[in-house]
Amino acid sequence: MRTRIGTDLLLGWLLLLPALQAPAVNSPRPGPYYEDDRMLVLLVPRTPTQMAAFYEARGFPQSALDRIVQTCFITLHIENKSNEVLWVDLGQWRFTSNGKDIARLDEHYWQQQWNEINLRQASRSTFGWTQFPPLRDLQPDEPVGGNMVFPGSIDSVTIDAVLHTGPDRSGAEIRLGFGNVGCPKGVAAP
Amino acid sequence: MKQNGRIFALALWLVISVAQGQELPPGVMPMAGKPAPALQLNDFDGKPYNLADTAGHWRFVHFWASWCGPCRREMPSIQKMILLMEDSGIEFVLVNTAETEDEVFTFLGIVAPDLVPLMDSDGLVTEVWQPRGLPASFLVDPDGRIQYQALGGREWEQPAYLEFLRRLPATAASPAGSK
Repeated sequence: MRTRIGTDLLLGWLLLLPALQAPAVNSPRPGPYYEDDRMLVLLVPRTPTQMAAFYEARGFPQSALDRIVQTCFITLHIENKSNEVLWVDLGQWRFTSNGKDIARLDEHYWQQQWNEINLRQASRSTFGWTQFPPLRDLQPDEPVGGNMVFPGSIDSVTIDAVLHTGPDRSGAEIRLGFGNVGCPKGVAAP
Repeated sequence: MKQNGRIFALALWLVISVAQGQELPPGVMPMAGKPAPALQLNDFDGKPYNLADTAGHWRFVHFWASWCGPCRREMPSIQKMILLMEDSGIEFVLVNTAETEDEVFTFLGIVAPDLVPLMDSDGLVTEVWQPRGLPASFLVDPDGRIQYQALGGREWEQPAYLEFLRRLPATAASPAGSK
């Protein structure tokens, strides 16, 4: 069910899309973002070098780092500034690259990777806590953050995000679009 | 008569809403009072700790890791709160999630050298507690039930949080023999 607010926001999304593709010069945020009086949604693309350095500093073995650098990490941060529940369900978000659907490398993918290299439990736990939760009923004043991971073969990802409101998701539907969020390569920070 | 009933119900609802709003500072969520999972770990100095042994007190159970930005920002506030709440009867339990002693020492030695966390070295205890993310704080009542969860990092030394915590011992249904 798409509500009037959702439809209005969808139209707003179409208008906002160019502005959300990249942070403006002197932007107060380190990446593409959307903010209004109900929420802040912020995306920060990470380079493979940044991610490898982060996990290496936490004692991850080279076999794990080799797999991490082959992927594309985008840190997602959402803050619920409203007085109602905001549902974030990544399973309902659409991710595309060059017009084709792409899948997130989710917890099942990483579980398989870690099983193959017999990664120690502490590292699995740390990696898990650094990932964005696939489903969250974000309470008023609650922030949530973590990484979304995509195949490293893509140069960018377009994200069609959908959020729902209300304790049982029956409230307004909110749609946000972030076009061509980069998957930076190499060592340079975005 | 029917209208009087409606007015009374509305007034009651308003009173309850206002009272609830005053009770809970921002980001503190009431829980259903489910029994707290087991929490039996060694602390940073190797001393064993078991949450079950501390029944009869409110427990503030806090999960954190030094790599987590909000945890780093929140830790000084936690230390200040603990100092300000020394006489409250609340037991403060800090659980580090899946880090080594070196990592914990490097961080806490600078930020909060007086705190001695429990070491959940493989992260499995944290996973059983199912926090919504890191950092996460749970308030466990004297009967061992989780009554509140704080969402994300909070400014615990602020008056709203201190007053909320100070009210807890008075409202707890403490078992006989407790403080």
